[in-house]
Amino acid sequence: MNPLRHDFIQTCRSSSPYSSFTVLTEDSSDILPPTSDAAHNTTHNTFNVQKLRYLDIGCGGGIFAESAARLPTTSSVLAIDPSPGVLAIARSHAKKDPSLSPKLTYLSSTIESLPTLKPEAVQKKFDVVSCFEVIEHVDHPALFLDHVAQFVKPGGWLVMSTIARTWTSWFTTNFMAEDVLGIVPKGTHDWHKYINEYELRGYFEETEEKRRFWGRPRAMGVVYVPGLGWKEVPGSEKVGNYFLGVQRLAGEDA
Amino acid sequence: MEAVVRRKAAAYVCRSCTRQFQRQLRRNYSNSAPRPDIYDVVCVGGGPAGLSLLTALRANPVTSHLRVALVEAQDLSKVKSWKLPPNKYSNRCSSLTPTSALFLDQIGAWEHLDQTRVQPYHEMQVWDGVTDARIEFDWAPGSAPVEGTTIAYMNENLNLTSGLLKRLEQLGGVSVFEGAKVENITFGEETEDLDLSQWPVVHISGGKQLTARLLVGADGANSPVRAFAGIDAKGWDYDRHGVVATLEMEGEGWGGEHTKIAYQRFLPTGPVAMLPMPGNIATLVWSTTPENASLLKRLPPKDFVAMVNAAFRLSTVDLAFMHTQGADQDDEYSWRLQHTPFNSRAVPQTVVGVQEGTVASFPLKMRHADTYIGERVALVGDAAHTIHPLAGQGLNQGQGDVQSLAKTIEFAVTHGQDIGSIMSLESYVSERYTANHVLLGVVDKLHKLYSAESGPLVPLRSLGLNAVNALGPLKSFFMKQAAGSGTKIF
Ligand SMILES: Cc1cc2nc3c(=O)[nH]c(=O)nc-3n(C[C@H](O)[C@H](O)[C@H](O)COP(=O)(O)OP(=O)(O)OC[C@H]3O[C@@H](n4cnc5c(N)ncnc54)[C@H](O)[C@@H]3O)c2cc1C
Ligand SMILES: C[S@@+](CC[C@H](N)C(=O)[O-])C[C@H]1O[C@@H](n2cnc3c(N)ncnc32)[C@H](O)[C@@H]1O
Repeated sequence: MNPLRHDFIQTCRSSSPYSSFTVLTEDSSDILPPTSDAAHNTTHNTFNVQKLRYLDIGCGGGIFAESAARLPTTSSVLAIDPSPGVLAIARSHAKKDPSLSPKLTYLSSTIESLPTLKPEAVQKKFDVVSCFEVIEHVDHPALFLDHVAQFVKPGGWLVMSTIARTWTSWFTTNFMAEDVLGIVPKGTHDWHKYINEYELRGYFEETEEKRRFWGRPRAMGVVYVPGLGWKEVPGSEKVGNYFLGVQRLAGEDA
Repeated sequence: MEAVVRRKAAAYVCRSCTRQFQRQLRRNYSNSAPRPDIYDVVCVGGGPAGLSLLTALRANPVTSHLRVALVEAQDLSKVKSWKLPPNKYSNRCSSLTPTSALFLDQIGAWEHLDQTRVQPYHEMQVWDGVTDARIEFDWAPGSAPVEGTTIAYMNENLNLTSGLLKRLEQLGGVSVFEGAKVENITFGEETEDLDLSQWPVVHISGGKQLTARLLVGADGANSPVRAFAGIDAKGWDYDRHGVVATLEMEGEGWGGEHTKIAYQRFLPTGPVAMLPMPGNIATLVWSTTPENASLLKRLPPKDFVAMVNAAFRLSTVDLAFMHTQGADQDDEYSWRLQHTPFNSRAVPQTVVGVQEGTVASFPLKMRHADTYIGERVALVGDAAHTIHPLAGQGLNQGQGDVQSLAKTIEFAVTHGQDIGSIMSLESYVSERYTANHVLLGVVDKLHKLYSAESGPLVPLRSLGLNAVNALGPLKSFFMKQAAGSGTKIF
C-alpha cells in the first residue's frame, strides 16, 4: 500500500488547530483563533490520548482498512464495499492478523445504503472518512460526496485519492465540467481526459453553503518512483495521482 | 488465565516469574487447548544485537506499545550483575565506533555502561610484518573530524550487555525468558476465525510457546532462527583461530593516559592486534593457525607473554621458529630480541603479564546470509553476518543492523503496516545488505592479501600501506571509516 496515505491524513489533521475532538459550532466565525497551547494540545493529545474512528468507503481488499486498524491511535475501522468478491478476500486476509478483529469490521454496503444498514453510523459519525481510488468508479460523484458528508464528524476529515488518468470521460464532461464547474464548453473532451485536482476541489468550494460546511481542501500530488515507492511531488497533483483532504466544519448535516 | 499471563507479561519478567509462568502454563495446558501467546516481537538471543534491538524498541515512544519477548539460553541475571575488580578485565572485548556509541546513547544505554572500564583510543599503528611498511593513523593537524579524535572505544562485551540489561530493566515491558533454549520453531495453526499458519511459534525449553508477529534472530553465528527461515549463509572458514587474552603492560602506553594507541601487525599467519584498555591493561586478538593457537593456550604465562612481545617485534621467521618450540619461549625471546633492531616507540609497550584464565581462542569464519528477512523473520548481528575480527567491526555491524531494523519497525508502526510482513521489512535489507557485504569483502580481501609471505602481492601491499601513509587525505578517509564517521561505504 502507499504509505503516504497515512502521512497525508496526519498532515491534514495536524494542519488544523481543531479536530473532531474539539467542539465546533456551525458558524466557523465563532471558532476562536488557536493559541499556541491549544494547537499543541490538539496535535499532541489527540494523537496520544483520543483514538480515532475510521470509515473506509470502497475498501476493496482492505489494504488501507487493515493498516488503519493497526495504528495504535485508532479505536475502530468500519470498512464497506458493495462487492462481495473483494470483501471475501478482505475478510480472509484479516484472519491472518489477530490484532485486527477487535478493531476492524467489514460490511457489505454502498455508502448510499449505509444509513439504512447501520443507522448508528450516521449518528456517531467518524473522525476520518477515507475514500481511496473510488470516486472515479461511481456514477454520480456529486451525489456520492453528498452522501459521504453525513458520516464525517464536525472537525473530522474526508480524505480521498484518485488517479487523474483513469477518470472516465463521463465524469469529466458530464459531472465536473457541466454539473460542478460549468466552465468547460462541450466538445473539448481531449483537453479534459485528465481531471484536475482543482475540479474535485471545486465540489467543496462551489457554493457559500459548501464553503461553510467544509474547510479549505488540501491536496498532495504523489508519484510512484520505481525502486523508491511513492513520493510526494509538489505540483504533481495537477498531472497524476493525488490526494485531496477536506475538513468538515459545520455541526449540522446539510 | 490468559488475562493473568498478559498482565504479568507487560512488566519486565524476572526469572522466578518466568518459572511461575511456565508452571501456570503447564496447568493451563492440561485443562484446555492452549490459546496462542502472541507477541509483536520475539527476539531470540540476548547478545549485544538482541539487547540493543529490544532497548531501541522500548525506548522509542512510537514502538513502546509493542508486546515484546526475549528468549536467551544463558542466565541473564549473571550478566546484569556482572562485576570484576577494577584491575581485572574480561578477555572478550570489542571496539565500538563513535557511531555505535552515539546510537547506544540515543537509546539511553551508554550511561549504564561502567565508564571507568571503557577506553577510547585516538591513534592506530598498522604495519606489515614481512615488509615493515607502516601506516600511522594519527590525526594530522586539521584532519580530525568535528565529532572528536576518538577512533573507537574499547569495551568489554559484558560491560555492554550488562549496561543494556540495566537500561532494559529501567524501561520495563519485556517478557524475558532466560535460561531458555529455543528447542524448535514451527508455524501456528489455522482455525475458523484465525489463520496463524504463517506465524512462527517458538518452542522453548520448559514447554512454553511464543507466537511471533516478527521473529528476530539475534542468535549468533549458528542462528536457529536463520535455519528455521531456510535462509542459507555462505562463506568459508579461515582455518584460523582468534586467540584472545587480557594483558598487563609495563605502562599506560607511549601516548599516556589521554592518547591511547591501538596496534595491529599483519603476520603471514594472520593479524595480531593489541588494543588499549584503561590503565596498563590491553586486550589481545591474535588470529593464527589452529596449531599455533593451541600451542599459545598451552604455554605457561611467562612463555605466552614472550610470544606476544615477539609477535610485535621479531621477524616473521624468528616468530615462526618460536612456534615450533615446545617450551622456553621466554629465554628464546630474550636472546633473539638483542639481535633484532626495532624502534621501541613504534610497537606497543612491553607486555609484563597475562591475567589468569583469560587466554582463549575461537575459530574464525566469514559468513553472509543470503538475505536478512523472510516472512515474519528478520536477522541481525552475527546471525546475519560473521566477519573476520581484524577490522574490529563485527559488533558494530550488528549495531548498524539494529538501528536500521528499529527504524524500519517504527515506520511500519506509524503507517499501520504489519511489522512482520516482507513488504515492511524490505527497507531494512536494502539499507544494510550492501553496506555489510562491502565490509565483509574488504576485510576478507585484507586477510588474504596479508596472508602471503612472498610472491607478487608482498611488494605491492607495502607500496599500498606506505602510499596510504604518505597521502594525508586518503589516510584520514580510512580513519574516518574506522571511526564510522566517514561516508558510509563500509
Ligand atoms: C575472537 C573474536 C574477537 C572479536 N573482536 C571484535 C572486535 O574487536 N570488535 C567487534 O566489533 N566485534 C568483535 N567480534 C565480534 C563480536 O563479538 C560479535 O560480532 C558479537 O558478539 C555479535 O553479537 P550478536 O548479538 O549478534 O551475537 P552473540 O553475541 O553471538 O549473541 C547470540 C546470543 O544468542 C543466544 N542463543 C543462541 N542460540 C540460542 C538458542 N537456541 N536459544 C536461546 N538463545 C540462543 C546465545 O546464548 C547468545 O547470547 C569478535 C569476535 C570474536 C570471535
Ligand atoms: C479501485 S477499488 C479501490 C479499493 C481500495 N480503496 C484501494 O484503494 O485499494 C474501488 C472500490 O470502490 C467500491 N465502490 C464503488 N462504488 C461504491 C459505493 N457507492 N460505495 C462504496 N463503495 C463503492 C468498489 O466496489 C471497489 O471495490
